[in-house]
Amino acid sequence: MKRYLILTCLIAAVAILAACGGQASTPTAAPAQPTAVPAQPTAVPAQPTAAPAQPTAAPSTGDTTAGASAEAARAAGLTALADAYDGKLKGQVVTITGTQTDEDAVKFNKNFEDFEKATGIDVQYEGSKEFEGAITARFAAGDVADIVDFPQPGLLANFVKQGKIINAADLVPMDWLEKNYNQSWLDMATMPAPNGDIQAGVWHRNSAKSLVWYPKKAFDAAGYKVPTTWDELMALQDQIAADGDTPWCIGIESGAATGWPATDWTEDMMLRTTSPENYDKWVRGELKFDSPEVRKAIQTFADIWDNDQMVYGGRAKIVSTFFGDAPAPMFEDPPKCWLHRQANFITSFFPQGKKFGEDYDFFYLPGIDPQYGKPVLVAGDIMAATNDKPATEAVMQYMSTGEGVKWWLGAGGALGPQNDVQLDWYGDPVERKVAEILKDATVVRFDASDLMPGAVGAGSFWKGMTDLFSGSADLDTVVKEIDASWPASQ
Amino acid sequence: MALATRKKRGPFNPSAIIVNGTLLLLVLAWVIPTIGLLISSFRPRFDIQTSGWWTVFPHREYVPVETIPLPEGDRTGVMEIRGASATFEQFRQGITSPDGQYKIVWKGNRRLGTIEIQEQVWTWGSAWTLENYEQVLQGKTFEIKRPDGTVEVVPGDDLVNAFINSLVVTIPSTVIPILIAAFAAYGFAWMRFPGRRVFFIMVVALLVVPLQIALVPILTDYVRLNLNGTFLGVWLAHTGFGLSLATYLLYSYISQLPREVLESAFIDGASHFTIFTRLILPLSVPALASFAIFQFLWVWNDYLVALIFIGSKPDVQVLTMRIADMVGSRGNDWHLLTAGAFVSMVLPLIVFFSLQRYFVRGLLSGSVKG
Repeated sequence: MKRYLILTCLIAAVAILAACGGQASTPTAAPAQPTAVPAQPTAVPAQPTAAPAQPTAAPSTGDTTAGASAEAARAAGLTALADAYDGKLKGQVVTITGTQTDEDAVKFNKNFEDFEKATGIDVQYEGSKEFEGAITARFAAGDVADIVDFPQPGLLANFVKQGKIINAADLVPMDWLEKNYNQSWLDMATMPAPNGDIQAGVWHRNSAKSLVWYPKKAFDAAGYKVPTTWDELMALQDQIAADGDTPWCIGIESGAATGWPATDWTEDMMLRTTSPENYDKWVRGELKFDSPEVRKAIQTFADIWDNDQMVYGGRAKIVSTFFGDAPAPMFEDPPKCWLHRQANFITSFFPQGKKFGEDYDFFYLPGIDPQYGKPVLVAGDIMAATNDKPATEAVMQYMSTGEGVKWWLGAGGALGPQNDVQLDWYGDPVERKVAEILKDATVVRFDASDLMPGAVGAGSFWKGMTDLFSGSADLDTVVKEIDASWPASQ
Repeated sequence: MALATRKKRGPFNPSAIIVNGTLLLLVLAWVIPTIGLLISSFRPRFDIQTSGWWTVFPHREYVPVETIPLPEGDRTGVMEIRGASATFEQFRQGITSPDGQYKIVWKGNRRLGTIEIQEQVWTWGSAWTLENYEQVLQGKTFEIKRPDGTVEVVPGDDLVNAFINSLVVTIPSTVIPILIAAFAAYGFAWMRFPGRRVFFIMVVALLVVPLQIALVPILTDYVRLNLNGTFLGVWLAHTGFGLSLATYLLYSYISQLPREVLESAFIDGASHFTIFTRLILPLSVPALASFAIFQFLWVWNDYLVALIFIGSKPDVQVLTMRIADMVGSRGNDWHLLTAGAFVSMVLPLIVFFSLQRYFVRGLLSGSVKG
């Protein structure tokens, strides 16, 4: 009897759920994009990207920026955006996909709210924790959002090579891009497509990585001084060690991505111990890891990391400490470590209630060799379009203006790489200070591991650094292994 | 069996002790992480990040009772503090005072620190909170600063929607393959038709095909059929991926049913359909239930198939995806995983415990005659 009962329940459940399920699925069927025609190899006519283009770098002054109104947009040559503001694209949907979830996804949506109200275009954002894996499957199946937000240009380069990305210079006038971005950003967005190099996308947001955080209150009380040169930094580190503390908080554990903070250190040291040209060669694979330059860069910070007197918990704890937990000992009373080099997003991991300027502060990681100037290591999100619908074009143009990120700057959590971004837009004093550091920079370079092919930048480089500091391999083995993992087609 | 154990005086014989002891150890090894997770889910964020869950149990801990200034003079060598002599490094680790009652700990650095005298007291973690569950169930609230300086409170997504989505995905994805597989298993077991063996070998062969390699081709087809992002699409995907195992399991059970029962039904003039619905289904409830548990747990915990075929738009997102998203873009809210995991575990636990007697019977199916 009981068996029948259960069986009946099961069958009833089927019937009920088939009914509800059917209903539930109908509305969702709607947004299935008619994108099906995935960006045919784009023909790519507009192509003189590599061209002369001196950075005119004349940030627009005054209070209206090019992205704010139809007139301003038209004056800047952004016709699709002007049309959008005129209401010609009302009711169209533009889908964007990326890595931002949770609070950042809320900010993403909020950032476009004014634009949606003004133009009637519906910007739909979908964020995923497993973006890297999912996006590859989506591209392969031809089911991808109109615009994809890539935090790793190296990953984007794969799809550009397959001809699946529209040349951003076809969507956003090149002379506007040249006016509104530093040339180095445009260079970093130039990628080889089947028919020659294209602008793979427009830069929407960025972050700076060459920052050293410290517990300001205790730091001042201990009489330490913010270092402005590498020698001062080394002297400070020795002084802290002499006082009996460990100067640095370091942790590189990050799940499958364990090791990435060490790649950031390598990059910062590369920029400080060799020329930007060598850095670029290194990114392209022309300068091997097994070269005096790269070895020197790694050795420079490994000298600090390998010294148990210098790292909280000693070298042994570096690999097993979650990067987000690494700065926590800095906020104990008294601090157990005093210096933490990390990008500006690390503030979201700081204990709640700690205030910038009181409890903590940061300084620019000073240069080592004066001949290489004041380099800053950055990362950022590049927006790549997969079709050239007018609404997509309008959103791409919008994101190439400071207006397209203005709300986010006010709320905090992003920097804008666009030239027409003004410092007083930043609502977060941390980011305003970072933006100032970026303005002062003589050399700006993108995170190399995000530019290198995935097998290296998101694979052997992370793993090699982890092996090096867990002590399972020495520098010789590590650099050779990373070089060997470089894809042959490069 | 019962008689035999009683003769050997129950659990007191050596082999029973070994067996029971091993079982106990295994159970502990499996259960302890879950208990830790449960305890953590009720602890405040700061506690989770700074101390282990086992500190909630009563234990002895050193707490400061007195603070005294640093010793004067040279602090590089061996110093004497309250009768204990040691170096700076040793004091930082903590030195027990000569009478054994106190611990002397140097706080801070050599120049500016203080000396703490600590006493050992019994303590236990007393800070409990429901905040994690509130944030998981009701959604977080984000305080977002607006350009004019005001703070806007934006509610995040709650779990309810994702929970319902998960149910909508899981139940049909469990029931559809079972129904199809039961028909198929009956056919393979009791009907004679050409190619029966070949088809059955194909089904068994499909067991070893990893689903990952099918993702992109299926997604391509779904895009053409406009099935992508729909629940129907994901039901079909799970049905397809689960069907070979279901058919195989049910076949091995159904083919073991006593031939005589079916033969007499045939003689009485029953059709295949009548036999299937009136005899086979009722008799195979244990096998059906045990496969239902398998499939239910698998689909409920699935992340990959949902990620590819439904995506993570808030209105269709399933529970696993919602929980993964909850930790934030950079994993800064990972402490919420504790509560999130428990919320997502509740339903599978209910399903498992309500069907588990069938599960055991189903696993043993065919192994013992009778």
